[in-house]
Amino acid sequence: MNDTLTIAGRTFGSRLITGTGKYESFETMRDAVLASGCEMVTVAVRRIDFDARDEDLTTFLPDDVLLLPNTAGSETADEAVRVARLARAGGLPDWIKLEVIPDPRYLLPDPVETLRAAATLVEDGFTVLPYMLPDPVLARKLEEVGCATVMPLAAPIGSGRGLKLRDSIRIMIEQAEVPVVVDAGLGSPSHAAEAMEMGADAVLVNTAIAHADDPVAMARAFRLAVEAGRLGYEAGIMDEAETAQPSSPVAGLVTQP
Amino acid sequence: MTTCTVNGREHELERGETVARLLDRLGLTGRYALVERNGEPVQRASYPEVELERGDTLIVARPVAGG
Repeated sequence: MNDTLTIAGRTFGSRLITGTGKYESFETMRDAVLASGCEMVTVAVRRIDFDARDEDLTTFLPDDVLLLPNTAGSETADEAVRVARLARAGGLPDWIKLEVIPDPRYLLPDPVETLRAAATLVEDGFTVLPYMLPDPVLARKLEEVGCATVMPLAAPIGSGRGLKLRDSIRIMIEQAEVPVVVDAGLGSPSHAAEAMEMGADAVLVNTAIAHADDPVAMARAFRLAVEAGRLGYEAGIMDEAETAQPSSPVAGLVTQP
Repeated sequence: MTTCTVNGREHELERGETVARLLDRLGLTGRYALVERNGEPVQRASYPEVELERGDTLIVARPVAGG
């Protein structure tokens, strides 16, 4: 199957996007990225700590993987815009995963500030991928200001709880004219497969891979799950029935009188 | 003494020190060093040309692991 994902005119062979956070080492992160087959990874932007000089994360990533800087840590639109502009000026791609999160307990995004930041960043030439609560009305507004995707959370970041907000995501998928990327809260490969079977265009996974006992194997498991879920969606999933439907002929039984 | 601050730390400036020279002096040879000067992002292509001035407030950042 020649199935590709297109975001803002750029084509990806993988519908899995991964985060680079929470790995025990950059080597494991790199191996997991390779095993996942993903072609886009998120990175955060932070001040350099001159007293604790770590290695450069980006040197561990394959050159053909698109870096998607995020605005994590921003609590307002202004902060997010500032981070995005700094990242782009310094040579990172002009793609931005927009996160405006004022709530440290559940890490739920601020819809008003997210929309405000998105409008500013699109105007400024960025390709904007906003993290959001699955709200079909907000999704439409984000599309209207020019966002390249909408990225609803399945459950709170890092919770691994799966598609808790399934029904709202389903409406977004039905209505969206830009790719829907289910981002955050997926804990197992089956969660990712379920999102893809629902018709999501892609999923973004970090903790579920990074915190697995074997992150590299889990990265591969997510890759397969995303492919399987997408293929199932494309193949057309059967209608459910209330009662059993026999799979074997009911006529011609050997034991019939 | 002519100084600026970099990530909140005082930095003594050489005469005519540019952003590129600053990064070099700080040993920042990685692939990305993102620089904000007095609240405005500095374009990477202009690092060799932008001269720092006394009292400048600089933030130097980079991509790190994140989701």
